[in-house]
Amino acid sequence: MGAPLALAAMGGYTSERSGVINIGLEGMMLIAACMTAVVGVPYGAVAGLAAAIASAIALSTLHWLMTQKFSVNHVISGMGINALAAGGSSFVFAIYGDPKHEGGVPQLSVWIFFVIAVISPALLWLYAGRTRGGLRLVAVGADPDKSRLMGLQPLQIRFVALVATGLFCGLAGALLVSYVGVYTNNITAGKGYVALAALVVSGWRPIPALAVCLALGFFTSLQYRFQGTGFLHWIPSQAWQSLPYLLTIIALAGFLGKNRTPAGLGKP
Amino acid sequence: MWRLAALLTGGLAMLAGAMLISDVGPLHALRTLFEGSLGSPGAVAGTLRETSPLLLAGVAVFLALRAGLYNIGVEGQLIVGAAAATAIALQVSGPAGILLASLGGMAAGALWAFPAGWIKAYRNGHEVITTIMLNNIAIYFTGWLLSSPMKDPDQQSPTTGTIDAASRLPHVFSNPPLIISSGLVLGIAAVILLALWLKKTVAGYELEAVGANPVAAKYAGINARKSTLLAMASSGAIAGLAGAVQVLAYEGRFYTGFSPGYGFDALGVAILAGSNALGVIPAGLLFGILAKGGTALQIEGVPKGITTVVLGFLILFAAAVRYRQVKAVA
Repeated sequence: MGAPLALAAMGGYTSERSGVINIGLEGMMLIAACMTAVVGVPYGAVAGLAAAIASAIALSTLHWLMTQKFSVNHVISGMGINALAAGGSSFVFAIYGDPKHEGGVPQLSVWIFFVIAVISPALLWLYAGRTRGGLRLVAVGADPDKSRLMGLQPLQIRFVALVATGLFCGLAGALLVSYVGVYTNNITAGKGYVALAALVVSGWRPIPALAVCLALGFFTSLQYRFQGTGFLHWIPSQAWQSLPYLLTIIALAGFLGKNRTPAGLGKP
Repeated sequence: MWRLAALLTGGLAMLAGAMLISDVGPLHALRTLFEGSLGSPGAVAGTLRETSPLLLAGVAVFLALRAGLYNIGVEGQLIVGAAAATAIALQVSGPAGILLASLGGMAAGALWAFPAGWIKAYRNGHEVITTIMLNNIAIYFTGWLLSSPMKDPDQQSPTTGTIDAASRLPHVFSNPPLIISSGLVLGIAAVILLALWLKKTVAGYELEAVGANPVAAKYAGINARKSTLLAMASSGAIAGLAGAVQVLAYEGRFYTGFSPGYGFDALGVAILAGSNALGVIPAGLLFGILAKGGTALQIEGVPKGITTVVLGFLILFAAAVRYRQVKAVA
């Protein structure tokens, strides 16, 4: 369970570090998961993955267009993207989905996804801290006006960052479907928001974000394991499920270390 | 007004495109959409029923929006308010029950919004993330309430018992199939009250000043933190009231999946409404028509997702026209 969260969180990382608030992670994952199933069933797993990534990148580019070109508030654009994805995925799946299809969606090996999920945070950390492009990404996110004065072009840098967001969310959505082999409406069920939460709790840093996501995945599977065994049965399962959200609120209130929010988040 | 018309045309064009994909004639489908929502007294009653919660929830979002706050948490505040109102109405019946349940719903909604307002005002944590988190906690919390403490033991599914007929809000017009509940009147009244409050009172003026420019408001002697906290808590209280009214006027009980996303639709309503609170009424009505007409389309074989897509585009278009940020000169 931790791997799709980690992939989506990395998508959030590239976006938010470049200064674009992205609550559309949820929608991008959802449309990607839908495309994995709708395209994957007739044309095979690789085509499904390609369609997943392409659709997530399309939504991400729309977010870039709205927030950067039309100067729409990032939150409103994100809500719009989520609505498009929620409606679009259920519409497309109702028409092109094949409910009678036997044997589920063709799957790629989940190990490929796991390797990407574990390696990409380290790569992103190196990229952001050690390379010219990465430092520019962080600079644009920290202060778009000053970086503009330094000769950077926030719009271009953010475009690349959001394409990367789409790529990661596409992988995350495809992985969700590859786990179970079937697509159901609203399969993400808020996982995009959890990924965003993990990113916030970890202070917008990729390797801690990976750790948080893996810990969440670990606790989720632990909870499934203990369900019905009577261990800690006096704690309702809903309390466990609320825990990541509660931790995020506490982290945002500044009770878990200093506030590390990128300073230019949401600025044009 | 022409902008609203342009949006409407865009939305309808999109609907028509979707009809072509799903093998239903576009004209026929549009007729279905409007006949299903406005064509008969029963359809109108259904549209107004869909509009009613969107008015109150729209007022909640709008109020926060004027203070510069994005209250994505209306959904959570609404369901917590509905749960509290049901719990009270099940204990106390009659007019006293209605009053207490409404107040209880408001208190629960305000309580649920308070952490987001406090963190925004005193800890500078973004309210969007906190309210999204509070939404999820609200869903799990009410899920737990329905799994044991509030569950009606006689029912299979997770639902509470039904409240007493004496604790229901009365109808203002009843000529079946056209029935109008006083819930709708409350919604319209809330919109008008908000418009007056924002324009005619000091607190309302301060709230809008903080929303327009918090730094300038601070130098003008306004306590911006207090205003932020007040706006968030009031927004939550109205959202809680929306949940309470939904129980008292229409549903009569609280259950899993109580809100089909009123809080999120309300965000679209508030954005479409523009800068005047009175705009919430036509925007709410438009969303109500789409919701009711969408159900009629579904019967014709057009998947319901299409109305959500149209709403998403409406939000994006309206935002592109209205909510553009001023670019800093650099």
